[in-house]
Amino acid sequence: MAENKEKILEVKNLEVTFKNGKKEFVAVQDANFDLYEGETFSLVGESGSGKTTIGRAILRINPTSKGEILYKGKKINGKLDKETDRWVIRNIQMVFQDPAASLNERATIDYIVSEGLSNFHMYHSDAERHQKVVDALKSVGLLEEHASRYPHEFSGGQRQRIGIARAMVMEPKLLIADEPISALDVSIRAQVLNLLKKFQRETGLTILFIAHDLSVVRYISDRIAVIHKGRIVEMASTQELFKNPLHPYTQSLLSAVPMPDPQIEKNKKLLIYSGMEEDSKTDPRSWQEVLPGHYIYANESEMVEYRNKVTL
Amino acid sequence: MEEKKKMDPRFQFVTLHQEESEHIAAPQYSYWKSVFRRFFSSKPAILMLIISGLIVVLSILQPMISGYDPLNVPTINDFSTHFLRPSAAHWFGTDNIGRELFDAVWLGTRNSLLISFAAAMITTVLGVIVGAFWGYSRKMDTVMLEVYNIVANIPFVLIVMVLVYVLGSGIPQLIFALSCTSWLGTAYFIRVQVMIIRDREYNLASRCLGTPTSKIILHNVLPYLISVIVTMISRDVPSFISYEVFLSYLGVGVGQTDQTLGKMIQEYSQYMQSAGYLFWIPVAISALISVSLYIVGQTMADASDPKTHMQ
Ligand SMILES: Nc1ncnc2c1ncn2[C@@H]1O[C@H](COP(=O)(O)OP(=O)(O)OP(=O)(O)O)[C@@H](O)[C@H]1O
Ligand SMILES: [Mg+2]
Repeated sequence: MAENKEKILEVKNLEVTFKNGKKEFVAVQDANFDLYEGETFSLVGESGSGKTTIGRAILRINPTSKGEILYKGKKINGKLDKETDRWVIRNIQMVFQDPAASLNERATIDYIVSEGLSNFHMYHSDAERHQKVVDALKSVGLLEEHASRYPHEFSGGQRQRIGIARAMVMEPKLLIADEPISALDVSIRAQVLNLLKKFQRETGLTILFIAHDLSVVRYISDRIAVIHKGRIVEMASTQELFKNPLHPYTQSLLSAVPMPDPQIEKNKKLLIYSGMEEDSKTDPRSWQEVLPGHYIYANESEMVEYRNKVTL
Repeated sequence: MEEKKKMDPRFQFVTLHQEESEHIAAPQYSYWKSVFRRFFSSKPAILMLIISGLIVVLSILQPMISGYDPLNVPTINDFSTHFLRPSAAHWFGTDNIGRELFDAVWLGTRNSLLISFAAAMITTVLGVIVGAFWGYSRKMDTVMLEVYNIVANIPFVLIVMVLVYVLGSGIPQLIFALSCTSWLGTAYFIRVQVMIIRDREYNLASRCLGTPTSKIILHNVLPYLISVIVTMISRDVPSFISYEVFLSYLGVGVGQTDQTLGKMIQEYSQYMQSAGYLFWIPVAISALISVSLYIVGQTMADASDPKTHMQ
């Protein structure tokens, strides 16, 4: 379904390296994926696997060391001229991982939400600016009176919704949601997810959703990429991935998804994926398509095995 | 069971008001109001504020009223007016040539305060502005670190003394000498603070919204540093007063005709045995200024940290 839509973002052979003095650390290598307009694409992997790093590379917070990122066909990594830079900001926004750290404690909600508006002069009068702030707050279920408050007066769920309002007031085409619900109480997770879905329905927003377990993304994403130690190991549509989880790491993530049946849970074996060992020298792995739209990082002998599994 | 519960007259359905749960009952928070409320809840701080306020007001007004001029000494040959002990007629007594110490002290206080406040202000303003951009710019960092390392390894007193020798003595020269390199220390300190909070998520968020660096520094970074900046000022002012006293005691710093607390202490130290009040009164005033300003500053620094507002 997503395939016949237009590509909004293309990530090609992306590599991100952190330099710490003389030491170099490759946080993300050889990442390849495309986002189609209007879809929800999820990036799933354990803590430290490089999910945030990819999101931040798209937003140009983290410089890339190799590869290309194209937004609507235009290269947006590396050095950009001012105009392109502002164009990217207008189009791509982010919801941050930690609601406790992502709001300026010394500013009012009014300032925080209208920060982007004022940077781009997206209003004609102060009254219009305030109205936009109020509308944005209402759209995330907050109240007009909250505009004059400070962040420390809000709960985690409310803070995360302020973060969403701040991003959505810019009317972005692409939203990067970095584990927007991981830091939240279970009871309010659905509220935030529904909110993102609502925006998507209303504005045709494309969402890059980052999460660390598969149970969360199953119900909201069209396609899923699984990332392990900085490398995307498997990517497929949600349905396909849950039907044919091929890569051992995907399987271990799936085994961690809780089942609402105590009998299954009791007999469940948790799979732990320890990494890829054998003969990567003689038979190097690469990014290959098993089925149309189902990609996997594998070498030739593994491919044979995977193909057999799929046809079974 | 289910059925029974539904019928139970003690239970009834209420409608859920989503909005109600979003209300914040607490009164509106205002940063500066909270700062002052917090500050004025400390009795010693209020006392010290009154003392330092009195000293400042007296040092500004008293010299204007008395018109005191240390060079105009009609009593110089009238020995009956020399070395009079403090009394109702001569509150702080008179000195070796019959000058009123009460008049002299306030003029000296005024000049000492002028020197230390001016030097502290230049140090802080320059230090904070340079430090904030220093924390953000990689290029600036490599250059400034070298400069800082060189300056930080030369004793401060030496720098000031050399500068005063070169520039000549006088109040403006001393202010310049005191603030000439001390702002670097402030800037370095601010740089470290900026580097700590620069990469916090809320600052990344501002960058993603296209906020220019100068606006981020002004709205996101400096407000977090109010407390440490106030602490630095409250440390700088007394330390500049001590430097002025110390340098004047060594005979460098202000000019021959300038009256400052340090100058008085130096001049009158020879009478420490014979007429101790001449020496001790300026010393006591300078100590009182340092202590009261320091306590006011420290309490203010505490009060300007929002963590203290919740209690
Ligand atoms: N600024 C940085 N400098 C050096 N190393 C970094 C930096 N940011 C991230 N890393 C490293 O890169 C790796 C990937 O980090 P990243 O934040 O992308 O993980 P993540 O998948 O988002 O994890 P989590 O689920 O915990 O958020 C980690 O090993 C981390 O230590
Ligand atoms: Mg992360």
